[in-house]
Amino acid sequence: MARDPMPRGQYLGRLPHLHLALLAALLGLLNANEAQRGRFGADTELGLLVIVLQTAVVLLAMVRPVPAWWLSTALLSASALIGEDTIDHGRVWPWNVAGISLHALVLFLLALRVRPQSAVVALGITVLSGMADTLLATQEHNQVVSRGAMAFVIAVVIGAARRSSRTAKERLVEQEVLTAEERARRTLLEERNRIARELHDVVAHHMSVISIQAQVAPHLVADPTPELRENLAGIRENAVEALAELRRVLGVLRAEDARADGVRHAPQPTLDRLDELVGKVRAAGPDVAVSVTGVRRALPPGVELSAFRIVQEALSNAMRHAPGASVEVGIGYGADSLTVRVVNSAPDGPVPPPRGAGHGLLGMRERASMLGGDLAVGPTPSGGYDVTAVLPVDPAEDTP
Amino acid sequence: MKTDRDIRVLIADDQVMVRQGFTVLLGAEPGIEVVGQAVDGLDAVAQAAALAPDVVLMDIRMPELGGIEATRRITGAPDATAKVLVLTTFDLDEYVYEALRAGASGFLLKDASAADLAQAVRVVAAGDALLSPSITKRLISEFSRMTSAPRAPLKARVGSLTERETEVLSLVAQGLSNAEIAGRLFLAEQTVKTHVSRILVKLGLRDRTQAAVFAYETGLVRPASC
Repeated sequence: MARDPMPRGQYLGRLPHLHLALLAALLGLLNANEAQRGRFGADTELGLLVIVLQTAVVLLAMVRPVPAWWLSTALLSASALIGEDTIDHGRVWPWNVAGISLHALVLFLLALRVRPQSAVVALGITVLSGMADTLLATQEHNQVVSRGAMAFVIAVVIGAARRSSRTAKERLVEQEVLTAEERARRTLLEERNRIARELHDVVAHHMSVISIQAQVAPHLVADPTPELRENLAGIRENAVEALAELRRVLGVLRAEDARADGVRHAPQPTLDRLDELVGKVRAAGPDVAVSVTGVRRALPPGVELSAFRIVQEALSNAMRHAPGASVEVGIGYGADSLTVRVVNSAPDGPVPPPRGAGHGLLGMRERASMLGGDLAVGPTPSGGYDVTAVLPVDPAEDTP
Repeated sequence: MKTDRDIRVLIADDQVMVRQGFTVLLGAEPGIEVVGQAVDGLDAVAQAAALAPDVVLMDIRMPELGGIEATRRITGAPDATAKVLVLTTFDLDEYVYEALRAGASGFLLKDASAADLAQAVRVVAAGDALLSPSITKRLISEFSRMTSAPRAPLKARVGSLTERETEVLSLVAQGLSNAEIAGRLFLAEQTVKTHVSRILVKLGLRDRTQAAVFAYETGLVRPASC
């Protein structure tokens, strides 16, 4: 039969505390009942006061287990010694069943909250106090110290066991939080590594071209002077040395994930290949519109590469998180900046739950901030998503 | 081989500076003629078919069709005679190894000196020596370990070689020239030459570089032995 789940109300969460209070009250009543029937011999009134306090101490133990345990132990002794010389020696002594139960509750609550060693010490003190009571006794009694001690031991063992399973769970949760943080950090480093690799790669290719051009130049003039030859040889030498260093750096960078890249035999992309990228995305389904504003021109390779990668990442995010949505890509060439904007409309179907969240955004943010630019992302009012990157471009840096 | 006429070279690179640069550098070398320039992999395949060059200088990273696939198509053509010399910005990387597996005869760094470039074109065109033997050997041995278990049909073909031929093949794989092999085995250089060409025919390989790749991949030569 179908049932509603148990409602998780603010007050229902207090249910265990309420139960405990009721149990304590019940034991208190039992205890008081016993007191009425001569449990404290001649001192019934004082005994009743002790019983009320013993009951109240259980409630205190829910908040302050350690002081509550001290009080409870003292009251246990008090309940034994009050009217000790006048009670019937057939009665159980120094503790009665209700008193043992109340103190066991306190010990249980203590063991739940403190280290097991402390709980065991508390247990020992409790038992010792019972034995001390017997030393102070003025007559023979029906001794129950060992039976009471048994109940206390059980209470402490259960409490300590509950505590250890709880702390183990907490440690597990802590571990999971740490692992998630570690994963996020690793993702960030991997992204940075990838970006660094791509940029070094771009630089290396430029260096190669420089070294070739420096060799070619003397062939282009009729009679190159020795100075010109020497100069060009110097340029070539420097380029070759720089390349050797770059190769070393790249060797380190690519050792990590050499095979991870999708497009391996193609040069690092620039915005010239935006149409190709958009074409591929369109072939996969979504409707993509591209608009270019401002004067289109060649920008420094780092900017071009980052802009391309940001569009690529944003498009792949849109396809992943907003299936069926249409996407607008806007490239704005400003005087001193390049603005890249990818906005998708609301998805037209159920959205698959995000997996490995943030990886794409992380990379885009890294690429933008590396160039001193900004990345802003967030949902649009109509239920879509907006990714906007502004990459600064030094007007003097434009490649002709 | 073709000593009586110029070595015909096709240059394939997507960067115009590189194409023009190599054209100027090689054009200044005696006995080498640049017959064409291709701007991407597809163009390279088409021009290689049309111009029948002796050597194709091939960039690995090109749009449309990468240099590795272009190499595979050019050397895999039924009546292919062109040898591919791969140009790379980074030496000893797996792209270069893949290019060799795809049929390239050698590789060269883009920033090589004009003299090295011309030398490489001549060696590859002549086909009787391994280009930069020690580096090539290191590259092949390094990456052949990474590839999965040797392909069974390859292994079967080793069986078709005579004992002497197997011996010659393992020396070729270690980067030895014909003269060096002749000295090592107490044979005439011409005999070694005959052995090598018979090995290539039997195994269906196009040159020494391919023979070296084959020897490492089939486990005939152990990377540890180098």
